[in-house]
Amino acid sequence: MACHAESFTPQEMLIVAGARQLEDEKVVFVGTGLPMVSITLAQLTHAPGIIPVFEAGAVGSSLIRGLPLSVGDSRTTCKADYLQGLNAAFELTQRGFIDYGFIGGAEIDPYGNLNSTMIGDFPVGYRKPGVRLPGSGGAGDMACSCTQTLIIMAHEPRRFRRRLSYYTSMGYFDGSPDARKKAGLQGKGPYRVITTKALMGFDEETKYMKILATMPGETVESVQEATGFELMVDPDAYEYEPPLKEEIRLIHEAIDTQGYFVKREIKQ
Amino acid sequence: MYWTGLSPDEARESLANKDKSKKDKRMTLSQAVRSFVSDGANIGIGGFVNSRQPLALVHEVIRQGRKDLILSFQSAGLAPELLAGAMALFPDRLHIRRLEFAYFAHEYAGISPIFRYLAENGMVAVEDWSNYNMSARFKAGAMGLPFLPVRSPLGSDIMKSNRSRTMECPFTGRTIGLIPASHPNVALIHVQEADMYGNCRIKGQTFTCPEIAMASQHTVITCEKLVEHEVVTAAPARTSIPFFAVDAVVEVPFGAFPAMCHDCYYFGQGHIAMLRQAAEEFRKGNKAGLESYYDKFILSAKDFDDYIGRIPYKELKLARQMESRSLELQKFVESC
Repeated sequence: MACHAESFTPQEMLIVAGARQLEDEKVVFVGTGLPMVSITLAQLTHAPGIIPVFEAGAVGSSLIRGLPLSVGDSRTTCKADYLQGLNAAFELTQRGFIDYGFIGGAEIDPYGNLNSTMIGDFPVGYRKPGVRLPGSGGAGDMACSCTQTLIIMAHEPRRFRRRLSYYTSMGYFDGSPDARKKAGLQGKGPYRVITTKALMGFDEETKYMKILATMPGETVESVQEATGFELMVDPDAYEYEPPLKEEIRLIHEAIDTQGYFVKREIKQ
Repeated sequence: MYWTGLSPDEARESLANKDKSKKDKRMTLSQAVRSFVSDGANIGIGGFVNSRQPLALVHEVIRQGRKDLILSFQSAGLAPELLAGAMALFPDRLHIRRLEFAYFAHEYAGISPIFRYLAENGMVAVEDWSNYNMSARFKAGAMGLPFLPVRSPLGSDIMKSNRSRTMECPFTGRTIGLIPASHPNVALIHVQEADMYGNCRIKGQTFTCPEIAMASQHTVITCEKLVEHEVVTAAPARTSIPFFAVDAVVEVPFGAFPAMCHDCYYFGQGHIAMLRQAAEEFRKGNKAGLESYYDKFILSAKDFDDYIGRIPYKELKLARQMESRSLELQKFVESC
């Protein structure tokens, strides 16, 4: 019988949900931060055959030397099958070897487009943005060229916006049919958005974001409340299974023992 | 269309006229920076975020002072942070005109406060690209091609922020992106091993270091360890950068610290946190901490040896112990 944790934080739930979304034996291109924690958890639980790819060059690693603090960390190279550099990693993506890209983002819109570049008025304010963010890194490439993408992020109204200041990593554009194909992209686009409050997907036809499940303690209303645009709700929306004791234990005792990514407080 | 650094024709011409002989290229950091990093240079920065950042060279550039620089990199943290911090504190000593890049932050250690400060105050021109774009731009340069076609990030605002183009592919009829080559004036790269001629053996991921070296007009290498030439020739397939792409070789153990260097040392996490804290306070208006950092670790240091001499031995030891260990050994070190 499943033994659920008695208490857990929204961030722990987020990491567990991220891990559970990862299918065993699939090739996953892993972005920095929470995706690295989730894939390590997946590798230690239900998905020992998962094949991580890190943009700095490592392919097929076992993350048994501890949680990488960077996608270029030597820990990403542990027991790797193949080790090159950035060009080789992104060429794999472009060629179609990657089943899932797993990324985070600062801001998201209803069609799964992400901003990790700037807050302000683009292009007029590009030279002097209100807030300058780190930039695309590899996320823009992953969103375009991986077969599908998984997005993991904290659920706050300021992060869920109808319009983005800047479109860094492309989802379904404006939702119009074949928008991605017309732009020249090959990947299918975002598959799931995993947040501290909900698991979401995208409507088949309109490509609009849709609640598939609410995290324990949340309701459709509370999720909607924390979202800067109206969400669609799947008729079969359900309550997501809480973390198992073992999953929480692994996060703190085997993965992020120093609390680099997991103990960070999420601003509500 | 404009080129920063060298145009493809200039890069070709420069190499045609270059002495490519196999000669002893060992020199001091000071000589290497004086000879190959000039005012106005487009500098290609090797490494990736805070791995193998060429910090010994960056310290020397700050000590000597340079103006009107362009920094080109895919993802970087400490190298551009230290250069940008020098500009923020001492604009007469160091000035960066432009950044061509994909990501400027520290991953686990957070955003770059000085990048925010410079960008949000409009003090530096930025040209955003993706990691693949910057990598492929160096690769195009290394291949001797003026551009490469790419499939990402088509349709994004990144493509509107830079010199890329889109066109209808002449063969498939579909939309494809084109990105121009990057030929920096000088590449600054830190590796684990090199011989006196400049043959480099990179351990772990190569990042984009070979491409940056091959694309640049000049390449300055720092290495953890100089190795005998025979070590290289015994396994030539292990050579990541060939000697004729290199102009200077400087042996600098811990030359990337507090960045990590695969197989040699892990992140100097305490030092990174201290620097980042001082940088964050600067952004909020308090200069004192950052000024004293630069004074203590860079400006009053005679050279990089002097800086490493000011890092507590325990920090260096921990960084070495943390690298290339099993989780079990790491836990023991962490518990001590």
